[in-house]
Amino acid sequence: MDQIIVSLMNGVIYGLLLFMVSAGLTLIFGMMGVLNFAHASFYMLGAYFAYTLQGVIGFWLALVVSPVLVGLVGVVVERFFLRRVHHHGHAHELLLTFGLSFIVAESIKLFFGNFPVDYRIPASLDVSAFSVGGAQYPLYRLLMGGIAIAMFVLIYLLLTHTRVGIVVRSAIYKPRMAEALGHNVPLVFMGVFGVGAALAGLAGAVAGAFYTTNPNMALELGVMVFVVVVVGGLGSLGGAMLASLLIGVVTSLAVAVDRSLADLFALFGAGDWATGVGGLMTLKVSSLSATIPFALMLLILLVRPSGLMGEKG
Amino acid sequence: MHQPKPLRLAIVPALALLCGIASAAPVKVGVLETLSGPQASSGQAYRAAVRYAIDQINAAGGWNGEPVQLLEYDNQGGPAGAADKLKAAAADGVQLIVQGASSAIGGQITEDVRKYNLRNPGKEMVYLNVGAEALELTGEKCNFHHFRFGGDPQVRTKALVGAMKQANALGTRVYAINQNYSWGQDMEKAIVDNAAAGGYQVVEKTLHDVNKVQDFAPYVAKIGASKADSVLTGNWSNDLLLLMKASKSAGLKARFGTVYLDQPGNLANAGDLAIGHFVVQTFNPEAGGAEGERFVNDYKAKTGHEPVFIEPQTVFGMAMVADALKRTKPENGALNVNAFAKALETTTIKTPMGEMSMRAADHQAQLPMVVSTVTKDARFKVDGTDMGFKPVKRFSAQEASTPAQASCAMKRPG
Repeated sequence: MDQIIVSLMNGVIYGLLLFMVSAGLTLIFGMMGVLNFAHASFYMLGAYFAYTLQGVIGFWLALVVSPVLVGLVGVVVERFFLRRVHHHGHAHELLLTFGLSFIVAESIKLFFGNFPVDYRIPASLDVSAFSVGGAQYPLYRLLMGGIAIAMFVLIYLLLTHTRVGIVVRSAIYKPRMAEALGHNVPLVFMGVFGVGAALAGLAGAVAGAFYTTNPNMALELGVMVFVVVVVGGLGSLGGAMLASLLIGVVTSLAVAVDRSLADLFALFGAGDWATGVGGLMTLKVSSLSATIPFALMLLILLVRPSGLMGEKG
Repeated sequence: MHQPKPLRLAIVPALALLCGIASAAPVKVGVLETLSGPQASSGQAYRAAVRYAIDQINAAGGWNGEPVQLLEYDNQGGPAGAADKLKAAAADGVQLIVQGASSAIGGQITEDVRKYNLRNPGKEMVYLNVGAEALELTGEKCNFHHFRFGGDPQVRTKALVGAMKQANALGTRVYAINQNYSWGQDMEKAIVDNAAAGGYQVVEKTLHDVNKVQDFAPYVAKIGASKADSVLTGNWSNDLLLLMKASKSAGLKARFGTVYLDQPGNLANAGDLAIGHFVVQTFNPEAGGAEGERFVNDYKAKTGHEPVFIEPQTVFGMAMVADALKRTKPENGALNVNAFAKALETTTIKTPMGEMSMRAADHQAQLPMVVSTVTKDARFKVDGTDMGFKPVKRFSAQEASTPAQASCAMKRPG
């Protein structure tokens, strides 16, 4: 029982981390209609900025400043790169962000080396919050979860309850109309792109210390973030939240399941046959846990191509 | 047919020169490593070590009066890329293929080399395996043209278990967690096989996806629930680092016995949490004595960094190659690969760690091992931290050795 509670909590918090990164991605997609391949690179930049800054201004300030810096990088990317290729169509924007992700990864290798850097959570935070069944639960995980939830609530309130939110939403759904009404739509786009990048940067700054900060972190998380956005529905913030939690919890719980397909067949008396077949039949669920999200994505694409909470496209 | 005399005179030496070039072919060594992509850091470490070793061979006069040529191929991190680049290497006339990172890639190369040699008698290639350690490479897939200079899961686990038991760090409940591919599966089996010798019980075994898991907390929860005293793992790179960080933050008391804790960046990133854990290595400068220190200094002078991780075993392996090359006479000015392979089978060299030889039965190098623990009073600090690896127990090649696998049925050329 204890183990299930711990697994659930682990899953929820990993899901919340996924949400932090995918929130910006899904916002940007809703706005431009283009998947930003460089989005996970912003996550990595956030971690490296925080790593560089923490020695100078301390951990907490670095946590605040590095997302701002990443946001500025995002603004520059939108203003001087994406906007120039915008009239060439989506394919060009896609290629641009794809290339950008390589440039970011290689520059990081150039400056910081091709191995993990020494970015750790400060000792004062490196304590356990409480213990469940003999295992301690790290405080920092709760902090990560808290930051993600605060972020979700803030963005949600901002988008639904403020004037800025109304302008942003209108610029996303009917850009021409918003422009005709006198709003500066390009500025809104730039702002949303910057904020989206900053959110990923924040996630990187927070998670880089807990996991590892290395030149592959964009690649490692990037794929999972795309899965989240596809499963949740492109452009839907609520969908991204739902999908992140779902994926986090499912992968976490799957680790504890030492059953295979053969055990399922054994219920019908065909266990020996299934064990004899081997291959997929005897693979334990626990050894597949990192692959399950992709199976989930396939399923969603088959059954509900627009995603869990996406609009019918 | 009237030619001016000077020209006629010139033709003769020119022809002689041409013949000379055609017959005295330099030996070409091809490094077929992962030089780009997420796992490039390992591939580049192997490359640095091979470059160092080849420079040494050439400083000693090369082979047959000519420098040995080093060619580099990027397998892009996968067996498919390796198969492609192996064809390119064959077309370039490479006779010695060197690779080490990833047993999955090693499995592809050894099969491709075997088939190539069957189809092209007289133009054979040798696969010098400096680090792909899955058992099948010297087991079912063993062949005459494959040589392994690294350890294997049985050798590594035997040494690790022996040393940890002697240091009273093993306990009686062991958890095996490994990556789900040939290397990790073999490690899991080796951990189970050594249970009786180590006096422990394997409480649970876990295989997980390779370099895909970001959050190891669920695995650590499982380890915690199993009440294990120690965790034995063959994990490398991020899979090891994330696992150890997650155990630290969950307050897990279990001791770690690892194979690749000495990968660059690991100690710097793990920090104090690495202290007290174990690693089984093929070289440790502190255990190597004065010879070891001389090797470390020379390596550092030539490459700019200390030999760590898989670099020493690669250098030692290439030293065996150099020794075998020295004893292989050129035939028509070129290297006869089969004669070279036969010489390599009987090679014995001295390394800073002790005597190292090649076992002819399965082409598995018999090499000394050392088990070290992470502590602040190690003589050689690593990663710019105040920690290093202090040797706990040394094993001579004989002590570390495990028997050749019965599944190896090697066909020798007649």
